[in-house]
Amino acid sequence: MSILEVQDLRKTFTRGLSRRKTEAVRGISFRVEKGQIFGFLGPNGAGKTTTIKILMGLIFPTAGTASVLGAPAGDREAKARLGYLPENPYFYDYLSAPELLDMVGRIYGLDRAARRRRIGELIERVGLGHAGKRPLRSFSKGMLQRAGLAQALMGDPELVVLDEPLSGLDPLGRKEVRDLIFELRDAGKTVFFCTHILADASMLCDRVGIIVKGELRDVGPLGELLSPKVQSVEVVWAPPAADADAVRAALREREGEHETTSEGEVMRTRDPSAGHAFVAAVVERGGVIHAVNPHRQSLEELFVHEALEGDA
Amino acid sequence: MSPFGRSLARIWAVALNTFREAMRNRVLAVLVLFAVGLMAFSLVLGELSLHEEVRVIKDIGLAGISFVGILIALFLGVNLLSKELDRKTVFFVIPKPLHRWEFLLGKFTGMAVTLGLLTGLMAVVLAGFVVSNGGTHGIAMLRAEILILLELLLLTTVAMLFSAFSSPYLSAMFTGSLWIIGRNTPELSAFASGKLEGTPLGAVLEVVASVVPDFHLFYISGGNLEGNVVSIHEGFVSWSYVAQAAGYASLYGGACLLLAVALFARRDFT
Repeated sequence: MSILEVQDLRKTFTRGLSRRKTEAVRGISFRVEKGQIFGFLGPNGAGKTTTIKILMGLIFPTAGTASVLGAPAGDREAKARLGYLPENPYFYDYLSAPELLDMVGRIYGLDRAARRRRIGELIERVGLGHAGKRPLRSFSKGMLQRAGLAQALMGDPELVVLDEPLSGLDPLGRKEVRDLIFELRDAGKTVFFCTHILADASMLCDRVGIIVKGELRDVGPLGELLSPKVQSVEVVWAPPAADADAVRAALREREGEHETTSEGEVMRTRDPSAGHAFVAAVVERGGVIHAVNPHRQSLEELFVHEALEGDA
Repeated sequence: MSPFGRSLARIWAVALNTFREAMRNRVLAVLVLFAVGLMAFSLVLGELSLHEEVRVIKDIGLAGISFVGILIALFLGVNLLSKELDRKTVFFVIPKPLHRWEFLLGKFTGMAVTLGLLTGLMAVVLAGFVVSNGGTHGIAMLRAEILILLELLLLTTVAMLFSAFSSPYLSAMFTGSLWIIGRNTPELSAFASGKLEGTPLGAVLEVVASVVPDFHLFYISGGNLEGNVVSIHEGFVSWSYVAQAAGYASLYGGACLLLAVALFARRDFT
């Protein structure tokens, strides 16, 4: 059984007096299996948050089905087995972090002792021990994000749905959250998250889905979606100390893009055989090769390609 | 714990949070202080009367509790639910394992507890003023205060009904208008069966008077009941009247909450 399953899901909003219709999600289908980290990617306005809101029971689909942990989206029993961090977490800002977690614990049906233990664990886990009983309104964005992660984990969920979990965090905080997501997966949990930070998605995801203008363009393991073909080669080199200017000038005449950087001379070419020939020419003239970097398709390139195709 | 017990625990979790939110709101503290100030001012007015200090304190005190209570009920009923939507806290709470109706019932319970506590607090302060001026608080005052609380609870359910589908401003306007009409149902009925009898406008007024919540029922002192003048000072209503008023508030308020639940159940939170 899939943890999340979406079949031909559609959502049309009707707005204003003119009853203008906007199709936010146009018949998307995908599955998320147990123990995966699934990244749901897409440009702004692509339909990511609408899909997540349907899965969380916040809005109702116009057509199609969405099931969470084997039950229709919004089912209370299924919600008891999931934790959700909304985008730009809006919490009760008059509460302190322990009070917020206590409220969530009560809703999950935890008794007083279990709530107290879990609150202590989570506050320490997300690094909010120093915040004490300060109200959430005095928290920075990063601290709010941490409080949001803690409340999402309060019910020890099987499925964790995170909408932009790394936004607002400093580099250390991002690393901590990434580690936390890996820990969740290692503990057998399933993580479904939505992000526009592609570097994080590349690092974290087992599978991704790319949604553009309400349509799912690609879904699958990153390794299958990204082309394994070498798309370009970058050679970092240095001319010999003797006759450096002449060698540099001669080699720059060859095929490829050339530039001088702080790391040394750099040559880039889309033709790998031209790269090999360039390396041989550098060595032949007494130069030094510092690095040869083959460049394959990145998630960012795939994403931009899909987004541009959607625009076309 | 039984499923019913677990459901009650979830409702209480929301209620406790609503209570916390209300009690940490400075506006409510200011309103309660205003009611106490009004009671203190009644001492001055009492001095100006001819040996009727306790009577003045009771009249102004009850009016103060009612007026401030209405403002608080309107503020809570309209604000606390709309704020969940405006501030998007609903995105955090609805995906939690609770039914939408439990959330709504929890909000109402929290507001009811807040109103009960604040009304009780104001009643205790009023009793203090009455006793310190040589009077007795008495059962009649207790009945009047219970009736005021029932009116506030009914008003809260009406406010919640409007909040379930409209903006805070519109909800406040609709609820306020209904309260003004509801407080004047005897005048409305008299007008419809008097000068306007037999006219289309009279018929409309008759329908309006029978459909709007009868808030007059709860603030009866100084009015007429079956031809007799009702006063907090002599000849006030019986416990059976209070029980009937409670029944009316439960039925009407329950219907408002049911309707609010039905509207809330299919609402998209965008």
